[in-house]
Amino acid sequence: MTLAKEVYQAMEDIVGPENISEDPADLDAYAFQMCAEISHDGSKFTARPEAVLLPGSTEEVQAVVRMCNKYKLKVKPYSTGWGVFSGIQAKGTIQLDMRRMDRILEIDEQNMFAIVEPYVVGATLQAEAMKQGLNCHMIGAGGGCSILASACALGGPGPDSISMGFSAENLLALEWVMPTGDILRTGSLGSGIGWFCGDGPGPSTRAIIRGELGSFGGLGVFTKCAIKLYPWPGPPTMPVEGVPPSYKSPLPNNFRAYTLAFPSWEAYAGACYKIYDAEIGYIIHRQFNKLGNLGATFFKMIFTDPGKTLDDIEELANKPEMLKLTEEMKISFQMVLAGMTMRDIEYQERALDEILLETRGWKVAAMAESDMQKFTLLYFIKLCFKNLNYVLTGGYWSSFGQHGTPDYEIKRVIPTAAELLKKYQATGLLADTGADSMMGSIGGHGGGGNFGMEQFPFYDPHDIESVKAAIAYFDDAARTAKDKGLLRGVESSVRKLTQQDRENAFGPQRSLGQWQRRVKEAFDPNDIGDRRYGWLEEPKE
Amino acid sequence: MALGDYQAHMERCSRCSLCKWIPLMHIKSWRFSKGCPSIEYNKFQSFSASGRFAVSLSLLKGMCDYTERLMDIVYKCQLCGSCDVACKICRYDLEPLETMRELRAKLVEDGQLLLQHIPIMESLRKEDNMMMKPKAERGKWAEGLNVKHITKESAQVVYHAGCNLSFDEERWGVARTAVRLIKNAGVDIGVMGGDETCCGARAYAMGYQGEFTKYAQNNIEAWTNAGVKTIVTSCADGYYAMKRLYPKLGSKFQVLHTVEFINYLIKDGKIRFSKTIPMTVTYHDPCHLGRKGEPYLPWTGVEKKIRGQIIVHDPPKPRYNGAKGVYEPPREVLKSIPGLQLVEMERNREFAWCCGAGGGVREAYPDFSLWAAKERIEEAMATSAEAIVSTCPWCERNFLDAINENGNKTKVWDIIELVEQAI
Repeated sequence: MTLAKEVYQAMEDIVGPENISEDPADLDAYAFQMCAEISHDGSKFTARPEAVLLPGSTEEVQAVVRMCNKYKLKVKPYSTGWGVFSGIQAKGTIQLDMRRMDRILEIDEQNMFAIVEPYVVGATLQAEAMKQGLNCHMIGAGGGCSILASACALGGPGPDSISMGFSAENLLALEWVMPTGDILRTGSLGSGIGWFCGDGPGPSTRAIIRGELGSFGGLGVFTKCAIKLYPWPGPPTMPVEGVPPSYKSPLPNNFRAYTLAFPSWEAYAGACYKIYDAEIGYIIHRQFNKLGNLGATFFKMIFTDPGKTLDDIEELANKPEMLKLTEEMKISFQMVLAGMTMRDIEYQERALDEILLETRGWKVAAMAESDMQKFTLLYFIKLCFKNLNYVLTGGYWSSFGQHGTPDYEIKRVIPTAAELLKKYQATGLLADTGADSMMGSIGGHGGGGNFGMEQFPFYDPHDIESVKAAIAYFDDAARTAKDKGLLRGVESSVRKLTQQDRENAFGPQRSLGQWQRRVKEAFDPNDIGDRRYGWLEEPKE
Repeated sequence: MALGDYQAHMERCSRCSLCKWIPLMHIKSWRFSKGCPSIEYNKFQSFSASGRFAVSLSLLKGMCDYTERLMDIVYKCQLCGSCDVACKICRYDLEPLETMRELRAKLVEDGQLLLQHIPIMESLRKEDNMMMKPKAERGKWAEGLNVKHITKESAQVVYHAGCNLSFDEERWGVARTAVRLIKNAGVDIGVMGGDETCCGARAYAMGYQGEFTKYAQNNIEAWTNAGVKTIVTSCADGYYAMKRLYPKLGSKFQVLHTVEFINYLIKDGKIRFSKTIPMTVTYHDPCHLGRKGEPYLPWTGVEKKIRGQIIVHDPPKPRYNGAKGVYEPPREVLKSIPGLQLVEMERNREFAWCCGAGGGVREAYPDFSLWAAKERIEEAMATSAEAIVSTCPWCERNFLDAINENGNKTKVWDIIELVEQAI
């Protein structure tokens, strides 16, 4: 299917000839996606869109959506567009690339929020917010991702969730071009009194537009939103030292950056509960273990030494001091403390020391050296190295990723996830990281109940046998979760869900998918929205 | 290497978009956060490094074919290498810049020539320069310099003016001053005058690898015959070609940019300043001297996997990520000039914004080229500097043209001009 000439012309009249293309090379650049090989049986490409449009305003978006309704075309917007769920899923779809709408419209210092367009990324909003003593939640995917997309249409946890919540929680008022082409302004904006609140006065649509996991661009186009900001007790601009890739940032007096290790998972969980109680911590995340038993070597010896590369890792990892450090860091997480005052940081430090004493945990000395603290600080505040996740093989995705309490995750999810990955790593078709590539934040806004942990298999997207092994692993992860009575993880976002999967993913109540479908049918009567979001039931025949 | 040799890189790209930005940790403002001129100007995903991985893969798989649009996708890019630096902060196994170069080489090999480049390449073949000027005029810049001509007498050091400076009369002073200062310091220096030929760097960037090899070998032979040990140039493009590309063809000459040589002479006390220059300036790192100016490191090896699927190289492969570019010498020279204040732009060193002139863009897409230059001038103005100082005639010419078009008052200097003023 290609667009009929009059349809293309109508679209071109809206956005201008320089902002529309149906050239195959352009289209394939949009069909090319991370993890496409997992959801498209080895191909790096999803389906081709019929055309790509770059709208420059809400009005243009609205006109395009109305045109899609008129000509029975589907529409799929993306902002920074990372992930197979950003690509289109079916022929007959127009892809909207929102990169022309990239402005930070306002930072309201006093009321602590920012108004952003879709292409504003965490790194730029944070840089501008810091100048005003504020900071924004940086989504787990890193500083190069769209703030609006995460808040309106995806998940959005991150290492700083303990102090700044999830993206969904930070969504305030919103401008939404609905699938019908109508514009709805939500929360306080809907009452004409500003952007400060998402839930009123004015219409609250949080549960409709996104629920827990979001609609992945399947329910209209979000064109502007306000995002909650938080206090930033650091410098207006973080200085950066060093040469690539070993960048670091000097530690201000009121900051600490540690790797904390524990003698057992039970002690790890115990420390989490005590951290919730003590209300300390700016950022807390199990991150460096993401690279499994190579994490310690990688971050300590390779990443911080610009003379070394991954090519040196085998030799370095087998050095006695690295073997010892790897063992020491086996059950660990990273923690950044930020004091609003010097008294505050002194309190947090004392509280942390007491928690470590009570749980028999410790600060890993090798990771507390000056350069490592500087590196850890920069890594976590700016979340600017997140794509190191790809360094081993070029391909990975998450499995078993759900939020629970520390007890639930540690007793039930972690052992299961470790056992399964071990089995697949033994085939040699996934990278052998010692079966523990688990990563996650230890809590949501204000403390407990949102302890996250995900297990990551690393595969080579260039090696079809490795890709097949990853596909088999993800499907097995879903089956295993079901058999063990666990919730299904975010592998659902790269693998197609069956009805059984959907039931498994969200527990025994089938109503979630049904309600989601009813919401979609009500708001998208012509079904122009992409149907990527995995828990949406197929329409009844 | 051919384009097909990079298929694994295409398939391993995670399409994370970091190629579009300066390294995220260095972002200081929304305004100057972008790193890639190509996608900033052309907007579509296909104009990013990741997009070109996709287009290359699509082409290799026969999913798309040559179109006018595809030619634009391939050539509307300065090959400035900003994407390469940003990518390699997190990815050790990808070579986006090399892939984009090989994509151009494939187009040329397949006879898919960009129309705008054809007359320039004809000029190279007929007149030995990329400026579409008669070769007979090449040596005029050096007339009256009273310096050795190395085809007639030997010299330890040869100054290579390059195509741009040789034919830009308004900028001849840059080359003449460089030679004069080095000669006055007692260095045995010569030039090739009218016998000098193009270094081949821009032909290489345009995808004409055969022509590049021909001119590189010609230069290597001429310098060898003249007994030259060291090549000095004021052109960052030329520096990159001689320092990084020529060694692959067997060149063993020491290669120095003028600013490196002048910095040595200042440190040795052979150049002394007697005048004050009360001016605030900002320094523009040329891509070819900065992030792409790293020395060549020979490597022959293979990719292998350890621990199942972890991708490494045997022996370890050198990494070009901008870490060892030429950043300090120009800054040291500027800081040594009495009265001069150096202020930095937000995007500097390995993540500097490109001037817009490279990769055959100035020749083929002048509007895009000048847009990129204007972006840089705006960044310079944001520092409150009175002037942009650089070390590449291509950058300086593009800035001057952009300023002339804009009516902007910002001054543009080559660093050698300030050195001369302070002596």
